[in-house]
Amino acid sequence: MSRPRKDPRAARAAHLVPGGARPRFDLAALPAASGRPRRDPRAEERLALVPGTLRRRLDRAQRAPALAAAAPASAETVDAAPRLRVIAEPAYLVALVPDAPGGRLSAHDRQLFGAARLLADAGGGAVLAFVEQPGEEFGPAGADRVLALPVSGYDPEAKALALNAALAALDLRHVLFPETADGGDLARRLAALSGEPFFAGAESLSPKAVTRAARGRRVEQRRAPPRLISLAPDAVAPHAGTLHEGLPVALAFPQPTGGAIVSAEFIPADPAKVSLAEADFVVSAGNGVSDLEAFRALAAALRATPGASRMLCDAGLMPRAAQVGASGTVLDARVYLALGIAGAPQHLQGVAKCEHVIAVNTDLHAAMIERAGLAIVADAQKVMPALLALLQQERAS
Amino acid sequence: MRIAVLLSAGRHSVSGRPAPVPVELQALRLAVDLANQCGGQSGCDVTGLHAGPELGPLADTLGHGLGHLVHLRTEGAADPAPALAAALEAGGYDLILAGRAGQGGEDAGLLPYTLARGLAWPILADAAGLAPGEAPGTLSVEQALGRGARRRLVVRLPALVTVHPAAPPPLPFAFAGLRRGRVEMREAPPAPAVAPEVEERAYRPRPKLIAKAAAGASALERLRAATEAASGGGRLLVDPAPDEAAREILAHLRALGLPTR
Ligand SMILES: Cc1cc2nc3c(=O)[nH]c(=O)nc-3n(C[C@H](O)[C@H](O)[C@H](O)COP(=O)(O)OP(=O)(O)OC[C@H]3O[C@@H](n4cnc5c(N)ncnc54)[C@H](O)[C@@H]3O)c2cc1C
Ligand SMILES: Nc1ncnc2c1ncn2[C@@H]1O[C@H](COP(=O)(O)O)[C@@H](O)[C@H]1O
Repeated sequence: MSRPRKDPRAARAAHLVPGGARPRFDLAALPAASGRPRRDPRAEERLALVPGTLRRRLDRAQRAPALAAAAPASAETVDAAPRLRVIAEPAYLVALVPDAPGGRLSAHDRQLFGAARLLADAGGGAVLAFVEQPGEEFGPAGADRVLALPVSGYDPEAKALALNAALAALDLRHVLFPETADGGDLARRLAALSGEPFFAGAESLSPKAVTRAARGRRVEQRRAPPRLISLAPDAVAPHAGTLHEGLPVALAFPQPTGGAIVSAEFIPADPAKVSLAEADFVVSAGNGVSDLEAFRALAAALRATPGASRMLCDAGLMPRAAQVGASGTVLDARVYLALGIAGAPQHLQGVAKCEHVIAVNTDLHAAMIERAGLAIVADAQKVMPALLALLQQERAS
Repeated sequence: MRIAVLLSAGRHSVSGRPAPVPVELQALRLAVDLANQCGGQSGCDVTGLHAGPELGPLADTLGHGLGHLVHLRTEGAADPAPALAAALEAGGYDLILAGRAGQGGEDAGLLPYTLARGLAWPILADAAGLAPGEAPGTLSVEQALGRGARRRLVVRLPALVTVHPAAPPPLPFAFAGLRRGRVEMREAPPAPAVAPEVEERAYRPRPKLIAKAAAGASALERLRAATEAASGGGRLLVDPAPDEAAREILAHLRALGLPTR
């Protein structure tokens, strides 16, 4: 119709390279613009491609002109590395008392830091952590100040007395505790000691309101955050984004006096008796493990709770109670050692909460290898006896 | 040893009807077991104490092994703490057992702590087992910590101990026990009502935090957060010698602070 007819001879002539005795055509060169421009679908696709994603993603809406965005985006990721934030003169202090068993922060402790930052950042406050042993970990976790409590051994009453002294001496707007065995106990001791209002097991927290379940989880109680709060697990996201200084501060505490506790002795969990849902360290076998005797010996030697994938439980090689995964037990373990497990989605759901995963598998492309923090591509039947021998050798020496 | 068990008016966790609180029945069992261990000596008894407007289904606790239940009658919304503190002080008890938290009331678990502070007694939380201490006048308490771990504490009596659900199950209900048991009603002096400082509404379960995915992240990112290594791309060893693999695994476990021996 109105479209001009293409003349192949003229098109070819447009590619003619001038000069030279024989006529030469450079067919790869773009012809000089003539009339209607041609679409290049490949170039458009290249422009629409969103960089930095694992799967190919096209942004045809062109909300962010791809070429222009590509460079600043990479600059931003450099910027997004955690940045140190110094709060020199805080308007107020939000204190928290992490459990930090063995000097390491648990996942619940990190959520506590997230909650404290939420309350502190709302009005230019700073976060003060009361700890037993000062360490490097608290600054990056979100503490501006760190105060060491003068407590040794298990003595919650002395700890509560020290906290009460700090509550009187420092201008603490809130004190947060994890709602765990030790943290919840300490919070209630301090509440009884100081007579301050106490909110137990907060399930949501914001600078305006905290909520908790009461009357057998039939009603939700809500109020403005009081001075003492204990935080339920998995209620607030851990702090991320900025680093904080974790500056050590000192305070003169009263001398602790002897309590009524004559002796305290820690008895570690017996891995053979602990249920899978409660276990801290789980060693699990999959279809790639054929030597189950070695596997059971290894679990006992590592003092771990044995688990299994559904394949082994279906085959009757392991009890159903040991099944890890969507239709078995969802673990709450900190460390998971997977031997010969492929990592089917149903299995990975069971280990979603595990902080550290170690995998041994012969298949480099197994999903479990991708999930693991330490992945070993090797035969489980050879690694298990080697581990057993190493443990025995260490025990002997 | 004279033992008092604090029994609160609870509600059944499913039906919501008035019922004894399971963990307080477990406390009752620990108390009965402990009283039986002192071998028929005189002055070894278990008393149940409840402060509230009416006893209701708490009379059933007599069927779970309790011989003597004292009901301190208070006005409807009165604070139970003063009545309980007065009764405990007058009773001359050596040991007071309470639940870790009630079920059906405020459920904060704060009452045992305020009582202990009022009596100036030591308090220990979360007992899963009790035994007489080696020295006379002491009690050995097995405290339940998370993940199946325990802590054995020896405490000088008198003391107040709260009981954890990991304690042995309650004694089975026996109708003869209910008939045999004795309920004593006492009028408690009037106490001020507790002023509610909280706003209450119907409970709505809140979604728990999922893995590490940020809110509003795409489905792909949430899936990745749930399935990929927590600490960023981990270490990968391809075809190491078995000994080397074993050493690596053990070093990794030790770095995570696991006692593997
Ligand atoms: C509705 C539904 C629910 C399910 N729920 C669950 C659940 O809760 N839990 C669960 O586990 N599964 C569950 N499954 C099953 C799941 O999909 C997988 O089939 C199962 O997890 C696979 O188990 P596996 O990894 O042990 O076996 P396989 O898939 O057979 O994998 C064996 C792995 O071992 C490796 N291997 C082989 N030989 C060796 C060797 N010598 N040394 C080291 N590695 C070796 C292989 O490379 C492979 O990766 C469910 C499935 C469905 C449909
Ligand atoms: N009215 C009451 N009478 C007797 N004991 C109570 C009463 N209220 C609470 N208790 C005890 O205190 C524990 C904790 O209760 P609470 O602080 O309400 O969670 C309960 O498990 C009971 O043992």
